[in-house]
Amino acid sequence: MILDAHGHVGTWPDFLIPAPTAEHLVAAMDRIGVTAMGISHLLAVGPDAVRGNELAMEIAARFPGRFGVWQVYNPHHRTPLARDGVWGVKLHPDVHQCRLDDPLYEPVWELGLPVLAHGQTDSPWSDPARFAAVAARHPHVRLLMGHTGLWPYGFARAARLVADHPNVYLETCGSKMTGRWIARLAATAGAERVLFGSDACFLDLRTGYGRVALAPISDADRALIQGRNLTRLLGPNAPPPPTHASAPTPDTPPPAPASAPMPRTPPPAPAPTLSRPPASPPPP
Amino acid sequence: MPKSVVDAHRLVGPVPFDDLPPDPRDDMDRLGIDRACVTHTLSLYSDPGAGNEALLALADPRLIPVPVVVPGVPGAGEPETPEEARSWGVRMVRLCPERHRFDLTGPVASRWLAALGLPIAIDLDETSPAQLLRLAERLPAQRILLLNPGYRALRAVAELMAEAPNVWTEIGTVNTQGGVEWLAARFGARRLVFGTGAPVADDCGPRFLLDHLDLPPDDVDRIAAGSLERLL
Repeated sequence: MILDAHGHVGTWPDFLIPAPTAEHLVAAMDRIGVTAMGISHLLAVGPDAVRGNELAMEIAARFPGRFGVWQVYNPHHRTPLARDGVWGVKLHPDVHQCRLDDPLYEPVWELGLPVLAHGQTDSPWSDPARFAAVAARHPHVRLLMGHTGLWPYGFARAARLVADHPNVYLETCGSKMTGRWIARLAATAGAERVLFGSDACFLDLRTGYGRVALAPISDADRALIQGRNLTRLLGPNAPPPPTHASAPTPDTPPPAPASAPMPRTPPPAPAPTLSRPPASPPPP
Repeated sequence: MPKSVVDAHRLVGPVPFDDLPPDPRDDMDRLGIDRACVTHTLSLYSDPGAGNEALLALADPRLIPVPVVVPGVPGAGEPETPEEARSWGVRMVRLCPERHRFDLTGPVASRWLAALGLPIAIDLDETSPAQLLRLAERLPAQRILLLNPGYRALRAVAELMAEAPNVWTEIGTVNTQGGVEWLAARFGARRLVFGTGAPVADDCGPRFLLDHLDLPPDDVDRIAAGSLERLL
């Protein structure tokens, strides 16, 4: 089962995204055999987390089993957070201009769900050193370092900084990532700490998955990176495996093109429960 | 799967900022890439002349040499004259106007390119769509392969391709969702070229993308090899 840990739906102001819809993503997922993708809506990453999170939940309901929701938490707006029916929480310290170790994020850590945060080497907001600081403070939080630092010169440092924090996972999407770097990360950090993510629709799902599919790694490591690690991390919130006999399994080689969608077993649709954080930030 | 795959953009030789394989052929074998246009890293990160000499000594039919040319007044160019570059017998040359600090649309470069009569490959980081458009207007017969266009400049790249019919675009970094199909729908697969920029840039993702494009097989074959052959 191939699971994409880092996806989006929607448009973004910096550049043209030719195919920003969930429908296009599902077609691309079917084409290469991706079972499910964790998404945040780009509206939520931007100015309206509440409405963007609603849109992401609507998309997940429209395509049962295909999308998990990373609900965006905007620390300035104290976005209401769901405990159920989501994969976890998405943070973007750079867009929100709030450092990852800022006390404004306390409601997120207290929620206890997995957290996917943008991680960018040398950023004042999301440098990997801030992941290490948060991981030390909240060792029970499963923390995904989005992009593993984003820039190639920072990949190895990112892995080193969180080596002693087993609750931090290295998520590998980004336009500068390579198959060779995925192999290096698996060798140095351990494949059980590395997660496949694509950043689609921001980036192309096929290019992102191709780095894992064709990376010079063992099939066992590939199986961990492209699905098993995330399944373990999500626990009961992980999507069910596809039921079709021809659906790719973690131990098969990269899938050939498949034009027909694979039937999937829809999971029960949980009703989200919301917990509203305090109106004022906790003291530093 | 495409019938033949030619990578229009690879490097041979060491780079100063990473430990990468200097010989691309093992990775090409592993990824099913039949041939590649290659530039020597010495030409980019050291001396263009030394890099070209090492490149032209390779003599492997799988590796199509793309030496670096630096247009310049006597004493400033590499090689000394465009006629010397013609004597190499290569099918394409690479220009690095930013790295080598020359004016791509200046009179010297224009004279050199007219004398060369060869396709040129240029990384978008070395120039701008506006500068390339100016070059295309000045030398309308000049064939240009735009390397490393990225995805953030898709609007500007599309405008350039719309205005300059002799511009081809490498797809390796066109990696926003559906970006390659979007360009193919507007400009045709005949103007899109498979290339990676490996080993500095990724070759696994673009190679996988090539096998999974949502395009007719003939168009995939064009992107994989045919468009480059036509360009050259």
